[in-house]
Amino acid sequence: MAKVTVKLFGVLRVDTGLATSEVSANKLGDIFKFVNEEITEIYEERHRDDPELERPDAISFSDAIVYINGKRCPRKGRKLSDGDEIWLMSPASGG
Amino acid sequence: MAELKGYMGKVLLIDLTEQNHRLFPWTDKDRKRTIGGKIMAGDILFQHVRPGMKAFDEDNWIVVTTGPLTGSGCPNTSRFNISTISPLTNIVTSSNCGGDFGLSLKRAGYDAVIFTGKAKEPTTVEITADDVKFKSAEDIWGLKITESQEKLPKDTDKLVIGPAGENRVLYSCVFSGERTSGRGGVGAVFGDKMLKAVTVKGVQTAPVAKPEKLKKFNRKWVKTLMTHPLTGRQLPKMGTAGLVSAMQAHGILATRNFSAGRYEDFEMVSGEELTANHLLSNSACTTCVIRCGRAVKVDGKTVKGPELEILGLLGPNILNNDIEQILKWNYELDEWGMDTISAAGTIAFAMELNEKGMWDCGLEFGKTDNISETFEKIAHREGIGDELANGSKRMSDKFGGKEFAIQAKGMELAAYEPRRAVGMGLGYATANRGGCHLNAGYMVVLEGLGLDVDSLTPHGKAAITIMFQNLMEAISACGSCMFTSYAVFPGFLVEKPNWLLTRAILTAFPYVGPAVNILNKFTRLAQINIPLIPHSKALNLVCDFHATLGTLLTVGSHGYNMERMANVILGQKAGADKLPKRLTEVPQDPNDPRTKVPLERLKKDYYRARGWKDGIPTYKTLKRFNVDMSKDYYDRVVREARADG
Ligand code: SF4
Repeated sequence: MAKVTVKLFGVLRVDTGLATSEVSANKLGDIFKFVNEEITEIYEERHRDDPELERPDAISFSDAIVYINGKRCPRKGRKLSDGDEIWLMSPASGG
Repeated sequence: MAELKGYMGKVLLIDLTEQNHRLFPWTDKDRKRTIGGKIMAGDILFQHVRPGMKAFDEDNWIVVTTGPLTGSGCPNTSRFNISTISPLTNIVTSSNCGGDFGLSLKRAGYDAVIFTGKAKEPTTVEITADDVKFKSAEDIWGLKITESQEKLPKDTDKLVIGPAGENRVLYSCVFSGERTSGRGGVGAVFGDKMLKAVTVKGVQTAPVAKPEKLKKFNRKWVKTLMTHPLTGRQLPKMGTAGLVSAMQAHGILATRNFSAGRYEDFEMVSGEELTANHLLSNSACTTCVIRCGRAVKVDGKTVKGPELEILGLLGPNILNNDIEQILKWNYELDEWGMDTISAAGTIAFAMELNEKGMWDCGLEFGKTDNISETFEKIAHREGIGDELANGSKRMSDKFGGKEFAIQAKGMELAAYEPRRAVGMGLGYATANRGGCHLNAGYMVVLEGLGLDVDSLTPHGKAAITIMFQNLMEAISACGSCMFTSYAVFPGFLVEKPNWLLTRAILTAFPYVGPAVNILNKFTRLAQINIPLIPHSKALNLVCDFHATLGTLLTVGSHGYNMERMANVILGQKAGADKLPKRLTEVPQDPNDPRTKVPLERLKKDYYRARGWKDGIPTYKTLKRFNVDMSKDYYDRVVREARADG
């Protein structure tokens, strides 16, 4: 299994409270399970302080704009290597 | 008076020299041709300007216009427009503002107000439904924006300039509340006319043709905006600042005076950082349901937070990773009354001049301790500030460095580095007012931000740029915020970027150019209203004139061609649609020759599709889009434009 860093940006970060996560995974598609587990943990912790807080939607491959090491990657089956940096981003506009 | 609903039916012409006023004739036919806002102002200026006229001439007009949707109850429609000859570019500038002045102007009974002449002393003009008064502004001349506003009558809405406008800084702006009419130096024209402030108040409302239907329709429109991933989620949650990280990912975050598209420390100046550690609350223009504005604290005061432009241009573009400095500078620039984009772009240019030994000004990339004092010097035109107040183009004429003066037609570019978003590059080059991202058609939303269309291919970019330029022109003319146009993309294209269907559509996008061009040419073919562009249906309900998507495209084309022709009359040369060589000849990635703007190729497609030659509309094109000009006059100004263009 490759040890990779996953970073969330944009609304994904604001909604989930997760900025960075270290994940072990073989393929891009595998990281989502781990990321969502962390998001749930963070939510449960935040929810204790703020009972009004809504549970964020789980992130799936189809929801996120994915970059691996600075290159856009639309393939779920992409193999990962040690040290890869994966960015999950939400779409953005306005300026 | 107007038969058409949605309008107050009166345009006020105020002569500052003679200190009098009268009504300016404007008919329903004019209203239908231009809708209002930016296109109305452009039309008025097109008819007024003459060859050789300059920004600081006594008879340069400042035209402040509203749209028929302003004050109608439609969402995001408090916008108004100010157009004039720009001192920065010497061509027409139009500047859109979200403050309440436009709403109040309509309440006072006017769709627009034109200022001509020059006052002999600092003046405040007070507009009410029954009268126009001229008052001395000696007591507020020299004051910053907030202080000036506070000293004016509380029960009015106001336009105000700061010291930068008074001292004719070529990119000074005009404020309405905390919102700015920012680009092109409108504030300097106010300052030159000694017009420190305009106040307005009134209680009238514009008639609405079908009020009950409009209410129902507006509920749906609000729902569309609030549930769309861009206008309902990203913009309210992150503001425009949310773009910093997306631009970094895509390699279009202007860095080190546009010599790169990525910045190592981008996270420190990102929307995520702003939201997590500095955001107090959202703020918004009146009637807005998106609420993209940010409120932050600076020196213990709650003030307007930075937009993406300023985070980018006073962050990565000058190699500064201190977001607190940016919040402070943003506030300072607002208080001096300066356009943040041009001020920041000019500073970055000066830093590079200094680095290359071309101008010893003390400004250096990464050095932040002299920026605040530099802004003050610019506002007062003192020392180096006197040069910087002229913008990067004039500075490059004097000190050299044209290839890295990041401007188009004299206006500094926004924070999008276009070498990895080539359609955006075309937009910057062809935008009528100069290096503006919104007037450009904002292709970058397709090229890697909202959507993921191949950002390096020139295919189809000209056609789509034209379509967006025209559409945004018309949406702005309605009095609507241009951000409402982002809901034009079906939600799934944005929310599900990796779906096969999404990818197939986005892959095909550059190849729809020929079909889009048919619509660009025969705009009236689009005799439909589509839910994703509700503005035309809103016009039907508010004004009771038959408007469709085709109407918006036709009026938008009219506006774009007419404004271009006004620029040609004012002396814009053939071949003026240019970008600095850094962006067109130097690949951002030395190993990938595609990472530069293939401007000549793009312009060829663009001019063919627009019916322009060397950047000038042909006479046939003017006729097609209802731009009225005699053939003799046309031939004369075009000959002049081609003389040594
Ligand atoms: S989206 Fe932003 S700019 Fe547009 S009307 Fe709302 S607050 Fe103003």
